[in-house]
Amino acid sequence: MKRSILASVGVTAAFAGAIAIATVFSGEAPAQARKEAPLYLQGAASVAPWKRYSDWPQRDMSKFNTLAKLASPPAPKEVRKLTGPVTGDAANGAKLVADRTRGGSCLACHVMGQAGNADLPGNVGPDLSEIGNAGREDEWLVNYVSDARVYNPETVMPPWGTHGLFNEQEINDMVVFLKTLKAPAKFRAVLDDPTKRPAPIETRDNLDDLQNPGMWAVERAQDLWKVNGPSGSSCATCHANTAALKTWAVAMPKFEPRLDKVVSVEEFVYRHAKATTGADWLMQSNENTALAVYLRFIANGQIIHVDTTSPGAKAALARGKELTARKLGQLNFACLDCHDPAKGGLKWIRGQWLGEQKGQYDHFPTWRTSLQSVWDIRKRFQWCQVNIRADELPPDAKEYGDLELYLASVNDGLKMSVPGIRH
Amino acid sequence: MAEKPRLKVPKEAKKGEIIELKTLLSHVMETGLRKDAAGNIIPRKIINKFTCEFNGKPVFSADIEPAVAANPYIQFNAKVDESGTFKFTWVEDDGTVTTTEEKITVV
Repeated sequence: MKRSILASVGVTAAFAGAIAIATVFSGEAPAQARKEAPLYLQGAASVAPWKRYSDWPQRDMSKFNTLAKLASPPAPKEVRKLTGPVTGDAANGAKLVADRTRGGSCLACHVMGQAGNADLPGNVGPDLSEIGNAGREDEWLVNYVSDARVYNPETVMPPWGTHGLFNEQEINDMVVFLKTLKAPAKFRAVLDDPTKRPAPIETRDNLDDLQNPGMWAVERAQDLWKVNGPSGSSCATCHANTAALKTWAVAMPKFEPRLDKVVSVEEFVYRHAKATTGADWLMQSNENTALAVYLRFIANGQIIHVDTTSPGAKAALARGKELTARKLGQLNFACLDCHDPAKGGLKWIRGQWLGEQKGQYDHFPTWRTSLQSVWDIRKRFQWCQVNIRADELPPDAKEYGDLELYLASVNDGLKMSVPGIRH
Repeated sequence: MAEKPRLKVPKEAKKGEIIELKTLLSHVMETGLRKDAAGNIIPRKIINKFTCEFNGKPVFSADIEPAVAANPYIQFNAKVDESGTFKFTWVEDDGTVTTTEEKITVV
């Protein structure tokens, strides 16, 4: 017991630059008053008001839930009764199920026989290739596509009708098409079959600067470290010995009483630099991301272990955990819907693998080969939300702090390896 | 060019040894075939030539075409008979030339 307390004290002490830890040491070592790290406490730590990246979809999703507010229309309480058999255009239905302009298409989650030429369907939902033989009533099919929550409150399926992605006639067309599905899918290539597609494994050496351009941020940060800010001092003025920061980043994010929120490496970099060197390194600026990569790079190989015991951290952790279950956006997905193996986690959404929560933090900020840039975890959160047709929050949002603390706690025990490299 | 070229060249080699050289330069390698949101062609901007010299003598050179991806990574081998300096040169469409050198000692 005593050993485990000491172990956690060791980690706590390492990032003590920022918090007073005198009480933790009582009885073990002479109480030592540590100076709090200077932080600029005013205003936002990211562009304010936040404006979405211009090359991201600009649709307005303010009618739906975000991590900060509840706005989505309620789920229907009752099944919508049909007056007669459903009528519609099966050919149009076949087109709609493969239409990727409205939320990724049905094929993103379901194998559906030859629909969309059985081209890389996903397997988050059941294989519907023989749904036409399942003896389902028209009414059941129509309601299930329109809003599956009337039958299954736990479903991860988007409420296509209730959330206005497809109108009544379009849903009828899709149902008429579904009833024609009576034969197993034939795949042109083995990899088109999601049950046979092997999970992707990242084998590149993410710390080799010839393989991972994300490593260049480390060099950029080492230069920035020595550049004097408006106050005439630089990072190196106080932190000439970066080895002293070896375990700082693995204990981040942490609850910061002065701001009454969880502060990440990125937000800390902005507020600390602003208060000391005077540099204006807003979150998600190139400088901020480079520093955030570098501070974690220094901690590479160390074990991620965040504080979840202080009253503020405990409350933030509980809020973060709750947020992972909140349904967001027009597609009505919660974090857990895609990243909990009991739901969509460790399955395919179209050709993309949905990872579980563990393993989704230790390599951030990460180089994205498909985008040729380094993304921190907050940008990843933002993109998740825009992708599921929800409005994102600014990078410094309190809710993201809660969520990041929870994610870090799930990744507790993993070794930091930053910058990562991912698709 | 914001980033420095990346190189992996051994510091030492035996006389006559065949060594492996790795080079990478950060570059967008814009093909000239893509269009922007307004439908206008994004002008071509690529590195079109790479050369490597050892003590002033050519070792390796390559003409690079638009099909090469961003951040071109070029790996090749060379035989070293004497100590000296490798000089690497990248030439861009607009005439910009980036060079860097690396010494090697024959032991």
